[in-house]
Amino acid sequence: MRNNKKILIVDDDIAVIDFFASFLERFNLEVIKAKNADEALKFFNLNKPDLVFLDIQLPDRDGVSVLKDILEISPKAKVFMLTAKSEKILQKKAKEIGAFDYITKPIDLAIFIKKIKRYIEI
Amino acid sequence: MRKILREYLEKTAKQTILIHRSDTLIKLILRTIVSKLNLEYAAMAIYDKNKDEYVIKISRTKGNFKIPPNFLKITKENPIVKYFTNKDFPSRKDHIFLDKISLLIKSKKIKRNPKLLRFLEDLKFTLLLYRARACIAGFFGKDLIGILFLGERKDKKKINDDDLAFLSVLSTDIVMSLKNAWLFEDLNYQIQKNKDLFLQTVLALASSIEAKDRYTRGHTERVVKYSLAIADVLKKYIKIQNYDKFKEDLRISALLHDIGKIGVPERILNKKKPLNVKDIEYIRKHPVIGADILEKIKDFKDIVLAVKHHHERYDGKGYPDGLKNKKIPLLASIIAIADAFDAMTTDRPYRKAFSLKEAVKEIKRNRKRQFSPLVVDSFLKAFPLDKNEESFNITHLGSRGS
Repeated sequence: MRNNKKILIVDDDIAVIDFFASFLERFNLEVIKAKNADEALKFFNLNKPDLVFLDIQLPDRDGVSVLKDILEISPKAKVFMLTAKSEKILQKKAKEIGAFDYITKPIDLAIFIKKIKRYIEI
Repeated sequence: MRKILREYLEKTAKQTILIHRSDTLIKLILRTIVSKLNLEYAAMAIYDKNKDEYVIKISRTKGNFKIPPNFLKITKENPIVKYFTNKDFPSRKDHIFLDKISLLIKSKKIKRNPKLLRFLEDLKFTLLLYRARACIAGFFGKDLIGILFLGERKDKKKINDDDLAFLSVLSTDIVMSLKNAWLFEDLNYQIQKNKDLFLQTVLALASSIEAKDRYTRGHTERVVKYSLAIADVLKKYIKIQNYDKFKEDLRISALLHDIGKIGVPERILNKKKPLNVKDIEYIRKHPVIGADILEKIKDFKDIVLAVKHHHERYDGKGYPDGLKNKKIPLLASIIAIADAFDAMTTDRPYRKAFSLKEAVKEIKRNRKRQFSPLVVDSFLKAFPLDKNEESFNITHLGSRGS
């Protein structure tokens, strides 16, 4: 049974994307993978995902500016920033711009699932 | 030094006490577990003391559950950690089996305890999130320092008691290896920070070496004592510049002269049979390994040389460099005699101790061969035998033995 919910994951680390994909697909979520800002915007337009996980550091652009673009396309988009614990300034900036929430790496799956459970029925 | 230790690791993965790169060992162990138990994956979460949480550093997989290094963590709020560390939890064990938790949840007894039931359900859910069939705790004393995650068995068999015993051994290996790795990390940190703290750590390490070599217990302490006594006589013969520093360097070098034995396998140190060529080759590395460890400290230059050359011989037939005569640092020449004398007068795995008389005779015999004549003469003055030639006619040393 498909949940029909779509999640866009943007991270330059393929291993991270693949892990997310294999983890989330177990909950019948459809995962769309993007390796950089270009792909992120393209796939966002194309698929209109329910949630976006966006790495705060991307190879071609910084994640915060991608967040800005996404929110311009769809102001109600639910974007979770993926950050390191130490990136406090970027976290704050992302929140100000309108990031839904952020998730710090490394990830505790128990906490992670609680965070997204609020926005997606699992 | 790293290379030597790694070579060692490859040969004897089990003797983890000597390994200061634990990653290699953990990878090896995870690979063994995954293939022996036919698991979908195995992963090791390791305590990070700066963040106060457990991070999955290494994993091995046969399936598609590939965990990128440092991507997943287990916080102290996570039910898995709580299960292992919460003292209130009634049946605390060092392992969790998903099947057993599922059974427990269904039991009537638990149904009457809603708080516990909720916790167990949470625990089960968390295990499922991590796709873990089982978790094995790695305790060092009371501290949980690692958690081993085991995925589904591909053959769908259950993990039995034999498997569990096997896993516990490996988990202990990992814990020991981590503990040692951390000791080394601390060591490096302290080098930058504080020489005294560094020394304490090195000494802690040294005493753990001594502890594993049961024939040399107390040896270091005696070598220090003998060395200092020799130096006090020697300074009357020759001018030693800045004698206070010389004596302090001598004390530290004598304390640390065998620190490199950290790289020598226990089975060789405690071998009862005569050593073979390979064993000797191993043992002969210890002065260089020791020097490598200590080299990082700036003002340890003389100490490093003393440790490195304490097995050189006056006639140039020693190791590692075959230095001759005055090329051998004075500190090293003193330790060489103190070391040899103590070795002769204590029982070894392969022979009984010499009597004092025999030992002194042996030292004399090796004057200008193994030992510097000047240092031999100082030694003889520092340790005059009494008339019976059964004990030393001295009081300043106190009693011998550990």
